[in-house]
Amino acid sequence: MYLINLVDYTIDFPESDCSFNKLNFTLSRGDAFAIIGDSPDQAHMFLKALAMLVKPVSGDFYFKDKKVDFSDYRNLLPCKKKIGYIASDSAMISNITVRENLLYTRYYFENLLSLPLDETAKKLCENFGIYDKLDICPGRLSSVDLRIAIAIRELVKSPDLLLLERPEDFIGHTNFDLFTEVLRDMVLTKLPIVFISYAKDFIEEFSNKKIFLKNGTLSIN
Amino acid sequence: MDYLAGYIGRKASSATNHISNLFAFTCRIFVLIFQKPEAGRALVRRISLEQVYFTCVQALPIIIPIALVFGSMLIIQFSKVSGQYDLGKTMVMLIVRELGPVITALLVILRSATAVAIEISYMNIFHEIDAIEMAGIDPMRIVCLPRLIGITSAILCLFIVFDLVAIIGGYLIVWIFTYIPMGDFITQIGKAITATDIAVGIIKAIFFGIAITVTCLKHGFSVKRLITDIPVGTSKAAVECFFYCLVINVIISILFYM
Repeated sequence: MYLINLVDYTIDFPESDCSFNKLNFTLSRGDAFAIIGDSPDQAHMFLKALAMLVKPVSGDFYFKDKKVDFSDYRNLLPCKKKIGYIASDSAMISNITVRENLLYTRYYFENLLSLPLDETAKKLCENFGIYDKLDICPGRLSSVDLRIAIAIRELVKSPDLLLLERPEDFIGHTNFDLFTEVLRDMVLTKLPIVFISYAKDFIEEFSNKKIFLKNGTLSIN
Repeated sequence: MDYLAGYIGRKASSATNHISNLFAFTCRIFVLIFQKPEAGRALVRRISLEQVYFTCVQALPIIIPIALVFGSMLIIQFSKVSGQYDLGKTMVMLIVRELGPVITALLVILRSATAVAIEISYMNIFHEIDAIEMAGIDPMRIVCLPRLIGITSAILCLFIVFDLVAIIGGYLIVWIFTYIPMGDFITQIGKAITATDIAVGIIKAIFFGIAITVTCLKHGFSVKRLITDIPVGTSKAAVECFFYCLVINVIISILFYM
């Protein structure tokens, strides 16, 4: 079973002069793709497309062998919930605290507002040094802490797929080793990942396949 | 001439398109009220209450003095015009039927509607709406629905506060600080006010709430990329809200009083 299967997938981004023409791409459990390409914009857009944040012009997107219907954004929500997206345009909701951000999905789906953080989230917050900053709004965090909080939120949502954009910059060099440790454990459970990175060691360690993007076409090695 | 006709046609078509978009958007939010899924109820309730707090409770220190000023000003002017006769009726006509809902709506537009338009634009530009979607949550349910419920309830409450303060507070101010004869003002008010007046006030408040919220949300969601679009969208939203409120006010008044 493919987790993601793109068939003749065409996307156009008029605002960034990026486009993908009739992409075919499959991703299964255990796959770890590193995206290699000339244009960082194009790589970022590919991640966005995998996160279903862009509506295709044509083609089919299959998630767990089920065709995704892009005609209504509500059809995408159950799939998006299973995708961890750690990228430059990931954000936190600014008018609630970091703790509430980490618990937001659980607040909604468990229909309770008095939930404690689970042990994994608590441990990650402690390890990354943001535990004492959980009760402030994201706007008051330093940019490094904010990005760490976003990463923790995405890691603890038990994703079926993790998308990462330059984790070495996103997490910051001080915490990068800690992050790779966490990621290593997750990858060992055969969690598929797709990432863009300029850190050679990271690419060597975490990728078992490479995606080459050039002029809107994709090839896999 | 052709150019002018073309211009008018394009403007009319764009306005019709915009109004039908607003109606469609309103319908989509209303559908959410009747769907009642179990998930997210607690969160929707909390955000609705927060919205009532921001729009109603925090507006009380502003609306009470405004209501006092308007109430006392109108009593003073109309007691001079009509003597003691029909003062109560005039006050009911002016405050309960017309000024109360419009001034309340104007205050909410100035304070909260603009804030909502800015907040939603900001959430859109800084990918917070995407973040909500990536959590598997429908932003319409968690962002739009609570604001519609909150702002509409807040306008209704503020309208009641405005009417009571303008009439009773205005009367007390005039009675304490002036020697203007007002006859039996409170009894006149009691006799003049009808169930229709109260019902019309409530209907106006509900429609104003819906119009204001939907317009601001729509403009907020229309801002996609540029932060410089936020002030433009907000100003458009505020002006449109006020215009729609005036139109709704006239239509409801015609329906009930003509």
